[in-house]
Amino acid sequence: MTRARNREMLALIPVALLLTAGFAAVFAQENAKLGNLSLTYGAYFFAVCLATHVYLRIRLPHADPYLFPLMALLIAFGLVMIYRIDESLARNQANWFLFALILFALTIQFLRDYEVLERYRYVIATVGILLLLAPRLPGIGEQVNGAYLGVKVGPISFQPGEFAKIAIVIFLASYLRENREVLIVGARRVLGVTLPPLKHFGPMLVVWGASMFMLVFIRDLGTSLMFFAAFLALLYVATGRFSFVVIGTVLFLVGAWFIFTTVPHVHERVETWLHPYQDGFHGLGAGYQVLQSTFAQADGGLFGKGFGQALITVPGHPSQTMLPVAETDTIYSLIVNELGLFGACGLIATYLLITARGFKIALLANDGFSKLLATGLTAVFAIQAFVIIGGVTRVIPLTGVTLPFVSYGGSSIVANFVLLALLLLVSNRARREAEEGAPRGERDEPLGALT
Amino acid sequence: MAYDPLSTALKFGFLAVLFLFLLVIARSAFRDLRRTAQPAPDATGFHAAVGQVEVQRGNDAWLIAERGGGLAHDERFDLIGGLSIGRSKDADVQIDDRYASGIHARLFSREGRHFVEDMNSTNGTQLNGGALSGEAELVDGDTIQIGDTVFRFEAS
Repeated sequence: MTRARNREMLALIPVALLLTAGFAAVFAQENAKLGNLSLTYGAYFFAVCLATHVYLRIRLPHADPYLFPLMALLIAFGLVMIYRIDESLARNQANWFLFALILFALTIQFLRDYEVLERYRYVIATVGILLLLAPRLPGIGEQVNGAYLGVKVGPISFQPGEFAKIAIVIFLASYLRENREVLIVGARRVLGVTLPPLKHFGPMLVVWGASMFMLVFIRDLGTSLMFFAAFLALLYVATGRFSFVVIGTVLFLVGAWFIFTTVPHVHERVETWLHPYQDGFHGLGAGYQVLQSTFAQADGGLFGKGFGQALITVPGHPSQTMLPVAETDTIYSLIVNELGLFGACGLIATYLLITARGFKIALLANDGFSKLLATGLTAVFAIQAFVIIGGVTRVIPLTGVTLPFVSYGGSSIVANFVLLALLLLVSNRARREAEEGAPRGERDEPLGALT
Repeated sequence: MAYDPLSTALKFGFLAVLFLFLLVIARSAFRDLRRTAQPAPDATGFHAAVGQVEVQRGNDAWLIAERGGGLAHDERFDLIGGLSIGRSKDADVQIDDRYASGIHARLFSREGRHFVEDMNSTNGTQLNGGALSGEAELVDGDTIQIGDTVFRFEAS
């Protein structure tokens, strides 16, 4: 359907405009003059997005029109903010963006029949688990802030968890498609609570055990929470039993509580979250990052201080940070500081809209695997955004998960573009079938205001 | 910090474009919501399986394999949310029968009653020995034959 693609192209224009305006504002702040450079960057960005759009037009003409522009918007947010922190980091990020787009194109090229994934589900699951465990392997593992999330092989370091999330969602989608019926049919009601049959309760306990194990092993609450929540979302969609979600949540809370009391590192993280002032405010105690991040957000006010105005280092002391790890963990706080509550709402709304588009793809899809795959990918994406935004706003303990598409980091961008490619593949098939199945014109989406 | 009109203008311009952009996409999403309020007919029974679980309680019905189709004798399939029978791997009850079509027939429930419907199969479906055209209501003990595969319907 070319109409969907036209809407995608039109939607990319405001995104490129936003990037240009963002760069212009940062330049204006730094050099006190407006050069052509922001226009050049804007044009580059638009050209790259347009090239991707043309590729989608050829390969996936029916796919959801708004998913790519929304993700491009997040990339634009990220590039402007990272440029504002450090020019060379932004250049790296832009290179990663290009590399991710190549991988995105390759995924679409070679996985047109994404059902083959189902055939290799145990291989995929094994790879996913190995990826998760890799950071603890001696020699290549890397410890950051006490959590084991990175892997370093030679000069290249990456976060394997970003890729593991996709592998594990593929496995769960395929496993649950096959077993969802037995999970419903064999269910028994005990004391008014629907319990899954014991035989099939096993896998649920295995996933629960795995996420608990991860919590101890990787020591990162965010990653563990992300995986388990995605699993529960899939389980709920596959069976329609809310009680499974309740049981799972209770299990997770009990397990997390037990680990909180026994593993010192996790205990420390939670203590920092609950009592950030415990080390005193003037030293750079454990609570410094989360406190500065919340103060930065409050300081932003309704409309923010403007691009390039946030204080990242203490004035006069470039080595002393005001907002620690602003390019990854606390990039959300930086955005709120510079664009205010309205900017924050815009950013969160972008994530919500992506989530809505993703679930809509799941609704439109015709077979169980596609439905579950789209649901799982969307859920894991949304939960990741929640985990890190929740972390810097002190809703949950702060963890080292990246803000998808915005945070600085190659693995995050590359993995999320692969995720986007899979969603678009599912969407392309679902919408094509919907259009072929329905009488002409009836299933066409009404014209958006953009066309 | 010097007050900079250009920077301020760009900031508000940025926010305005951002929100207009999101509004347009949100409008499209809301329109979708309104349209999907009436659930589309769902061949796989995927969502029906979710919605009708509670309705079906106390009104159980099963499809039971009698012989053929590569199924174990007395293998039971719960009718919750409907069942499709066929040779395709997308069928809820996948049978290995060379006279069966991909999706050969389906069973479904409506207002507590159960029906079988032939899905335009090549070789037809037999209900209690007679050819089935379109759909027919099922009662306890009915036999359904597809190719060489025989099922029994059981309701309680």
